[in-house]
Amino acid sequence: VVKQQSETYVEEEEEQDDPGALRWKEGLQQKAAQAFLRQQEAAPNLRKLVYGSVVKSEDSEDEDKEELGGLFRVSRPQKSKKFQENSLDCSRFNPGTSHNWDLEEMLNSIRDCFVTGKWEEGQDAA
Amino acid sequence: MASQGLVYDGCNFFRQRLVLSTLSGKRVKIKNIRSKDDNPGLRDFEASFIRLLDKVTNGSRIEINQTGTVLFYQPGLLYGGLVEHDCNEQRSIGYYLEALLMLAPFMKSSLKATLRGVTNDPIDPTVDLLKSTALPLMKKFGMDGEGCDLKVVKRGMAPGGGGEVVFTCPVRRTIKPVQLTDPGKIKRIRGVAYSVRVSPQMANRIVESARGILNKFIPDIYIYTDHMKGANSGKSPGFGLTLVAETLNGCFLSAEMSSTPIGQGDPVLPEDLGRKCAKQLLDEIHRGGSVDSSNQSLALLFMTLGQQDVSKVLLGPLSPYTIEFLRHIRDFFQIMFKIEVQKPSEDERKGGDKVLMTCVGVGYSNINKTLK
Repeated sequence: VVKQQSETYVEEEEEQDDPGALRWKEGLQQKAAQAFLRQQEAAPNLRKLVYGSVVKSEDSEDEDKEELGGLFRVSRPQKSKKFQENSLDCSRFNPGTSHNWDLEEMLNSIRDCFVTGKWEEGQDAA
Repeated sequence: MASQGLVYDGCNFFRQRLVLSTLSGKRVKIKNIRSKDDNPGLRDFEASFIRLLDKVTNGSRIEINQTGTVLFYQPGLLYGGLVEHDCNEQRSIGYYLEALLMLAPFMKSSLKATLRGVTNDPIDPTVDLLKSTALPLMKKFGMDGEGCDLKVVKRGMAPGGGGEVVFTCPVRRTIKPVQLTDPGKIKRIRGVAYSVRVSPQMANRIVESARGILNKFIPDIYIYTDHMKGANSGKSPGFGLTLVAETLNGCFLSAEMSSTPIGQGDPVLPEDLGRKCAKQLLDEIHRGGSVDSSNQSLALLFMTLGQQDVSKVLLGPLSPYTIEFLRHIRDFFQIMFKIEVQKPSEDERKGGDKVLMTCVGVGYSNINKTLK
């Protein structure tokens, strides 16, 4: 559905051939949604994300990176880590982006989480 | 001094480090606490947290350097019993309570803690949220019975505080392993709309707007209004809403919002607050899982400390706080979780990806508990 809509957008642009400056603002939400979905699809290896790479390979990588000519060590400031170190200690999860719950599409995406939604076969609402 | 134990940098994840240190008995040293800051060292709320930790343990050794940028902590035994604590108003009671929830089942004698301070603020999970989500979660791990309770005696909004809660928890020798792989469907939504030192009508306005959104999904919604007066209403005005969705299998997903503390930014309308909070609940339902995002680390801790058996829990996307907690669990207990992503199938309309966490407990038994 999303693809078709974006195509129609393109067609409209060509037809009207309007030099209107604010064209790029159109369909921003769809673009953002697509980007978000792409990111979701590129499932990262969570174990690697949480625990870092496997212990053995990590060791060898460290040796390669940190020593230059066996004498000097390359100091790499870990920016993201430093930034995190002294930030607020809070367990609340703020993903930053929120879904747009005014869209019927979005509302439909969680319909089956409720008892009022569709039930799997073998299970009964009763 | 023999060894400094585990060494960390910075003040972030302060509570998890001290809590895991207390449970594992490993010493911990935290360096560079706001060392580059204009106002370096520990803040008042962290000092208050350390004092609370000192009250529930026996024989802890705490050393802090002159500027407060280095902390050394050698944990003692968890003692429990009657504890009273005035929580610093910079953070709400939820900040302190989250740590107590983790420690309480492993005390020598059952804990009865009276905490005074800010009960509701926009930063930390409020006492209402913990009462309606964390306590049922603890029951799943075998901490049931009458003793497990959290009572809001007085409500105190930020920044003035003046609230009071009483938390009681029974002690357990061992923790039950759990299999929470299927949360089931949501059967009802409950909530509390609270208001203090403002018109009681505020709570009704919140309820009205929140219902407007949630009614599209399910008819069984009941949001209580809680208006405390006089001595029970604390020192600052404010209002807020806590929403909890309960599933057929007894899992709880929650969302909450509090009004902006007086003098800390733009005021918020009760209608907006109700709508935003309802949408946050939908976000939380979209993330899904058997445990809601603010209690992920509590569930993972009890899985780690369970008997030597497999525990499984289905979670929504891991929060950054939880990811760090997993790393700390590895440091303190040498437990690594199996993490599997579960994608919903095409025709299912059940929100986003879920994560299945599996581990074998360390078989932790409460050595502090007295045998009777």
